[in-house]
Amino acid sequence: MATGVRVQYQEELARLEERALDGLDLVAAQLERAIEAVEQRDSELAELVVANDDVLDGRYLEIHQSILTLLATQAPVATDLRLISALLHVMKNMERMGDQCVNVAKLIPLVGHDPPADERILRDISTMGARVKTQVAQAKRAFAARDLELARDLVREDDVVDDLNKEIFHIAIEIGDDHDRREWAMTMILVARAIERIGDNSVDIGEQVAFVVTGLFREFQDASRPAERLA
Amino acid sequence: MTDIDLGATVTASQPGSGVSRETFASKGNAFELRGVTVSYGGKPAVVDIDMDIPNQAITAFIGPSGCGKSTLIRCLNRMNDLIPSARVDGQVLYHGEDIYDPRIDPVEVRKRIGMVFQKPNPFPKSIYDNIAFGPRILGMKGDMDEIVERALRGGALWDEVKDRLHDNAFGLSGGQQQRLCIARCLAVEPDVILMDEPCSALDPISTGKIEDLMLELKERYSIVIVTHNMQQAARVSDMTAFLIVKLDGDEQHRQGRLVEYDVTEKIFTNPADPRTEDYVTGKVG
Repeated sequence: MATGVRVQYQEELARLEERALDGLDLVAAQLERAIEAVEQRDSELAELVVANDDVLDGRYLEIHQSILTLLATQAPVATDLRLISALLHVMKNMERMGDQCVNVAKLIPLVGHDPPADERILRDISTMGARVKTQVAQAKRAFAARDLELARDLVREDDVVDDLNKEIFHIAIEIGDDHDRREWAMTMILVARAIERIGDNSVDIGEQVAFVVTGLFREFQDASRPAERLA
Repeated sequence: MTDIDLGATVTASQPGSGVSRETFASKGNAFELRGVTVSYGGKPAVVDIDMDIPNQAITAFIGPSGCGKSTLIRCLNRMNDLIPSARVDGQVLYHGEDIYDPRIDPVEVRKRIGMVFQKPNPFPKSIYDNIAFGPRILGMKGDMDEIVERALRGGALWDEVKDRLHDNAFGLSGGQQQRLCIARCLAVEPDVILMDEPCSALDPISTGKIEDLMLELKERYSIVIVTHNMQQAARVSDMTAFLIVKLDGDEQHRQGRLVEYDVTEKIFTNPADPRTEDYVTGKVG
């Protein structure tokens, strides 16, 4: 409960943040279903993931409109302004994460009911899915608690996911001459890539935590200067 | 703030557009306040103020009622001299000269450092005579018609009044009267314009015109404004000073103190002091 003056505004801002961060729970649920659909070759579950993306898009539009209203009516400044700016980024990332879940889901019908699957690739995708789901939850916790160390730790998690993504790529390259098996493996590369991007989006949310807390935007991972990245 | 190393910093994405205190350093300072304390009847109203007010920029004083904003701005052109119990300690240096030095003529100070008040206060005279009053008293040389036109143009009022210069100034709207007061101030060719809540009695359109005018005027003048409207401070000022009220030891007397003084963008996006943060976000009044 906000105290002092402008109580309604403070409560509205807190409610807005809660609704925005709850959107990440929706992403986690979508990701879990998408991975299960890959593991079970379940096209119906995949269709559900595609249909459910409307819920995420609706949340994005709802928060976006609320932010516009708050900007227009309350003229937020200082930490409030940084929070609102960060929430816009969080929502954009959430919406992109939802789209990546849809990308995974749309690939499932392409591989058929009984594809010539490679167990190592399937195992890596399951592991990636579980780890990225944890990353999404961690990004939410870090934002809600304004916890910089937890936000920074997302990079370490993301490194593991990146390694799994590369591993899948290498297994796929050497999967053999069978056409169907190669086609399946190529599709799994796309699945892995989509999951890996969700991990990147989680790191982006972590960077917004740093912006809200410090007022400085810092890239945790600098692709142009990888040597400077901290372990 | 934290000392955790967060990795690479993207300079271009820092809050603000790169405006810093150094941006104004090249312009020099209109005022340098050194340990300024203003007292009424021996009781300090604002205490120990140190700040540099840059040339050709707009500096805003913000803070809750009673924090000494008006007291502080009034000591910049010795308006507090008119209050017998007022006393100013410390130094108010204007272009390096102490304006409270006994050798300094307060009339000359107020000529160079003009002031516009909360409520428009035109003289009960014609528009023309309002503007011509100061130049006549000071015996300024030159064609008076030209002086009046130049001042009214400077006050963004010329087009609205050029056909009725000899009408009574009280026939103007509140916003026009305030711009007339600014023009009257400009007529004596000042260097600094002090504005004590110049828009608090005006509607939003008139306020917008005064703000536009301020932004034009800062190309040639240094402006200091006291405002209760934080959005106004955010919109127009380059530098913002935040003052608070503190109760002194016996909790009977209120004293104003400077909490934070920085580039306006910094004050409104990432203030350093939590008291500034609470005030600008409206968490405290």
